[in-house]
Amino acid sequence: MSTSRAAEKRLRNVNLYSSENRSAKEFTEVKSYLETVFPSVKISIRSTVFRNVPKREVDCFAEALASARMKDPSSALQTFEPMFGEIDYERRAILGRSRVGGVVYDGRRLQEEFVRLLGRRASLPTASVVFTDRLVSTYSRDDLRHHLRTVICGFPGVVSLPGVVEAPAKPREYYLMKQRMELEGAGELPLQQLKSSFRGRFVDYDDPELFEVLKGLALQAVLYHLTIDPFCENRSCRLFNAHWQEDLMRSQVLDGKLCKKHAKQLASLGRKPVISW
Amino acid sequence: MPIFEKSSESSVTRAIISQFAKEMDGFADTDVIIIGGGPSGLMAARDLALKKVRVLVVERNNYLGGGFWIGGFLMNTITVRAPAQKVLDELGVKYKMYEKGLYMTPGPLACSKLIASACEAGVSILNMVSFDDVVLREKNRVAGAVVNWTPVGALPRQITCVDPVALESKLVIDATGHDAMVVKKLEERGLIKTPGFGAMWIEKSEDAVVEHTGFCHPGLIVTGMAVSTTFGLPRMGPTFGSMLLSGRKGAKVAYEHLKGR
Repeated sequence: MSTSRAAEKRLRNVNLYSSENRSAKEFTEVKSYLETVFPSVKISIRSTVFRNVPKREVDCFAEALASARMKDPSSALQTFEPMFGEIDYERRAILGRSRVGGVVYDGRRLQEEFVRLLGRRASLPTASVVFTDRLVSTYSRDDLRHHLRTVICGFPGVVSLPGVVEAPAKPREYYLMKQRMELEGAGELPLQQLKSSFRGRFVDYDDPELFEVLKGLALQAVLYHLTIDPFCENRSCRLFNAHWQEDLMRSQVLDGKLCKKHAKQLASLGRKPVISW
Repeated sequence: MPIFEKSSESSVTRAIISQFAKEMDGFADTDVIIIGGGPSGLMAARDLALKKVRVLVVERNNYLGGGFWIGGFLMNTITVRAPAQKVLDELGVKYKMYEKGLYMTPGPLACSKLIASACEAGVSILNMVSFDDVVLREKNRVAGAVVNWTPVGALPRQITCVDPVALESKLVIDATGHDAMVVKKLEERGLIKTPGFGAMWIEKSEDAVVEHTGFCHPGLIVTGMAVSTTFGLPRMGPTFGSMLLSGRKGAKVAYEHLKGR
């Protein structure tokens, strides 16, 4: 391999794009964590990717985002014509006049829009991790339906903040008790009480654990950029792809460490972050 | 000595007819028609009326307030999360803090105060009147509502061939709750396609209801639970704070639109 080719295959920068509803400052912990793992890589925090939407293209992006909504979980391709109101909402959201949330987007379609927005900012020596306050899903060929995701690895990697709360399943007993409460028509107060009785077994909105989890998910996204093999089978490793909240809590918060194999791999990549695929 | 002044039955009847006819004459062409007199509809109506916008609320029941009278499990304590308690302050509703950011108040108190506040602001109300259809103008812009007396719909069709009347307005607000009746009417006509309710397991939807409040079609704004139905947001429990704030946002969107016309 020539020297220039080798240089091209080395990770030099990681750009973390803050989510739509949060300030860049809130992601400082994630940045610091990645700096400890990759001391030779420049880690930067940028404001939300939607800041990059040129004024003349706001309507075009608004329509694309409205079209990317996941409306039919059983359909691999979402081919709906967006409503006037959906486009109007996305326009407001892009311009920072509405907060985002509550709607599920097809993660791959969203990722395509991020690719368009990042343009030249994304290159092999620069990994981009886009944090979003949107819920994202991807279609699974295993059971032929969409599933919510915490992280969608790719170029750029996408990490969904509400996905951390909603995507991995909570303990079974929680759903059974919640279902019973809903049948009884219970309101806000009993739901909060139910949540408190399960405290520590899942991540909820605004929990301090949320950003601890984001560190591990950002690491998975960067590792994908380097190796396209970001996950670990070990339930105690930060690279474990958790489908249950209890697994997520264990791997990211309670243990919060890498397994021996990945600790060794990342120590080596930290010194020399070579893109190996 | 009798307690009440003397008056004849005919005077009482004339008073009812003349006042109602005068009001009905004004309803034929107004600024905003709000379909549904629940918390979001009343809140939107109140805020608009306070800004001197002519507002008519069409309510199919005899009573206003929708589900705001009662909370979950038929218990009449309602809860609101901050910052919706500020609306309760404005309405003069007393409440208690359950925990930081969560407040509770008796449903009958909050609901009656909201109704009174809307009426005092100058909102016109047509109760026992049901929404029947939309008035459409150029490019299918919604420009009013077709309505009829509620009892007409409850009687067998062969004895109630009673035509409705059309009321024109600059804007219509759909505040009909989960039914989203105005939006569904547009859907029946093939002008809109709603996605239906989103996933039940997504719990954070209060913000989404408020944030999605706005135009869903030219001339038509949605507020309250109709927002969930229209945009496929997760169905949620009786969280009244979002209904009040959604109504307020609907009024803001409507007012800005009217101002810019």
